[in-house]
Amino acid sequence: MQNSDSEYRLEMTGISKSFGQVSVLGNVNLKVKHGEIHALLGENGAGKSTLMKILSGVHQKDAGTVLLNGEEINPKNTHDGQVLGINVVYQELSLVNDLSVAENIYLHKLGASKFWMNWKKITHDAQELINSLGFNIDATATVRDLSIVQKQVVEIAKAISEDTKVLVLDEPTTVFDPTDAQKLFDNLLRLKKTGISIIYISHHLDEIFKIADTVTVLKDGVDTGSMPVSETDTDGVIRLMIGRELKDLYPVRDVKVGEVPIFEVKNLTAKDTLVHDVSFSVRAGEVLGIAGLGGSGRTETAKLIFGADKKKSGSIFLHGEEIKTKSPVDAVGYEIGLVSENRKEEGVFLPLSIRRNISVTNFGPISSKLGFISVDKETKNAQDLIEKLNIKTVSSEVQVKNLSGGNQQKVALAKWLSVNSKVIIIDEPTRGVDVGAKVEIYNLINEVAKKGVAVIVISSDMPEIMGISDRILVMHEGSIYGELPKENFSEENILRYSIGEQLK
Amino acid sequence: MALNLKQQLSSPEGLLKFLIKYNTIFIFIVLLIFSAVISDVFFTSVNLSNLLKQVSGIGIISIGMLIVILTGGIDLSVGSLVALLAVTFAILVNIVVLPVAILITVVIGFGLGSVSGYLVAYQKMAPFIATLALMTVARGLGFIYSKGSPITFKTPGGEFMSNFANNSTIGVPNIAIVFFIIVAAAFVMLRYNVFGRLIIAIGSNEEASRLSGIKVNKYKFLVYAISGSLAAIAAIIVASRTNLGSPNMGMAWELDAIAAVVIGGASLNGGRGSAINTLMGVLILGLIGNILNLLNVPSYPQQVVKGGIIIFAVLLQRFENK
Repeated sequence: MQNSDSEYRLEMTGISKSFGQVSVLGNVNLKVKHGEIHALLGENGAGKSTLMKILSGVHQKDAGTVLLNGEEINPKNTHDGQVLGINVVYQELSLVNDLSVAENIYLHKLGASKFWMNWKKITHDAQELINSLGFNIDATATVRDLSIVQKQVVEIAKAISEDTKVLVLDEPTTVFDPTDAQKLFDNLLRLKKTGISIIYISHHLDEIFKIADTVTVLKDGVDTGSMPVSETDTDGVIRLMIGRELKDLYPVRDVKVGEVPIFEVKNLTAKDTLVHDVSFSVRAGEVLGIAGLGGSGRTETAKLIFGADKKKSGSIFLHGEEIKTKSPVDAVGYEIGLVSENRKEEGVFLPLSIRRNISVTNFGPISSKLGFISVDKETKNAQDLIEKLNIKTVSSEVQVKNLSGGNQQKVALAKWLSVNSKVIIIDEPTRGVDVGAKVEIYNLINEVAKKGVAVIVISSDMPEIMGISDRILVMHEGSIYGELPKENFSEENILRYSIGEQLK
Repeated sequence: MALNLKQQLSSPEGLLKFLIKYNTIFIFIVLLIFSAVISDVFFTSVNLSNLLKQVSGIGIISIGMLIVILTGGIDLSVGSLVALLAVTFAILVNIVVLPVAILITVVIGFGLGSVSGYLVAYQKMAPFIATLALMTVARGLGFIYSKGSPITFKTPGGEFMSNFANNSTIGVPNIAIVFFIIVAAAFVMLRYNVFGRLIIAIGSNEEASRLSGIKVNKYKFLVYAISGSLAAIAAIIVASRTNLGSPNMGMAWELDAIAAVVIGGASLNGGRGSAINTLMGVLILGLIGNILNLLNVPSYPQQVVKGGIIIFAVLLQRFENK
């Protein structure tokens, strides 16, 4: 099928793939035009990543054909893919921490060069590339010293530094605040004009409608068809993805919030981070949202309360009594739980089973005085929570690394539900989680609050934080800049406080 | 479970998967059969009990090595600790009553291990470096206290230990019984006790452990202290077998112990490994040495074969992880 005049840059036809006996993709079609931003949507586990890995050469397809500019291609590894002009920016960053920004961006050339590298040129080119993206990062800086946002920018710069024909972005904005995300979108629109075909994977539907031309939805390894973005809307896409209406996304908040604060923070100031003079209180049954741009100190505030970062001054009160949380051990002792934003590195134990993940915070009820564990009790506890949280798994013995992002997040939550925490801080509750699991996590947060737990939710996802909170604090440069009661919730108000402005 | 196993073994791929999963035990059995076929002397009680006596010392420190490796650390000091503690025990057994000599030796072992533990857990020193330093220090101290020559047991207490170490109970060498008890204790601790759970959790994700409210430093400290204590028990056993304590004992044992743990399928990144598999690793290494001795293979080719087996075992585990 030679057809170099095809209107499509990329045609994937009838792609099937199984791992062992599990079929991940069945007869999937994806056609991307020249100079098009093509959104690829679907719940976690729908097969988006696998499809992209087949495209880039990480996995080999079992059946089907892939045409690039009308010619059949069969990349056997990512190097083949890159030579063909296919570059992927994955969710998990793949930079070399100990090399400089410039070295990372031109890493592929370091390997290909015969003798010497022209460092001056490379640094210069890298700096120009980053500047052209509109970000301010020093090309000579070591990647280890960059923030996660900056790393993501370097990753994108690396992908477009080559002669890219097809650029795949897998959830590129999860770490971005709205301003940085907007910069990225401007760049993508500019790249699109140069003829590059962009495949954009995201759970943020608003992004899709902002930038994409065409959308393809995958469900359970099968594509439910493609359509121009102009012919559909958010509700339509969600229906395709899960068969659920958008208004059902956030639970009804019918919790009776207590009168007195059960948890209070006064003038909390960090020793090593920018957090200073943070004061707030949470009442029983209340869901308190903390919004703000990336780097405004939200995560650092959570870690400060939890004792994971060092405090310089300030005090914390639980039920009116002052408590000292010098380490997470103390915090857990006071029944405070923290679900980290960084699930894989800080939240769950990937190689361990669900059962072992859940019991790690609380051996008390399942073990004897000498520390001998009753595996029966442990299994029962794990199974109860699996059922309650609707964690999709064959058994409690499955390793957490084999679960989807949404189910991993539920395991991270289950750890703290198993201890009956009084205060739970959840940092980015649904990052990298599909829509179906999002709804379940929102309901769960609601239920936890109903039991009288004080819940603090940190989120960059504006519809989310407005959908689940009773009250929102907005952080700016390390302290709380403003507070929004429910009647004043709006994206504009949050954004104004985030950038240090007053409300209109 | 039984049905599962039957189903698994009925197909060729299932069988292969099963063999790869239990590769350590599989290699052990193959070696056992091979040894029995190739040598008439192998399955004699004298040879088998010799084999067990030979592996017991290294076996005991391998268990200590395992729990250190489970946290993602390494303990290079154990071989030298065996030398220093064997000398210590030989000195003590000649001046105090036996139970006190044993007790003090184990306490000193705990203390020396605590030095590594303190440096690693509280001073954030790399385990490789901290224990490398202790390895050098301990070997040096062994030579200083023994003035460079072996110290012979001279008291009835020493005689008792020597008899204990060289005799058997119902056919099993006493020191092998000590080794097996330690393996069994480690097995139970790792599988059914909170302590074992926590060190595996720390090895599989230290940051997540810290944020789950686990006292990470305390447990990292403890594993080195336990490794030191086990080195003391190994030292008492080896010294008793030969009726003396010498600063040349335990030379490069830390490497054999690491090899045994790795053959037993443990990950050097921590979080994965078991006491039974480490026992198998110890026995496999011992078997190879034993059978090559019976075949009169000189010691240099023996080292080549041992290295080959380590590579083979670890390659098999790569399949398991796929």
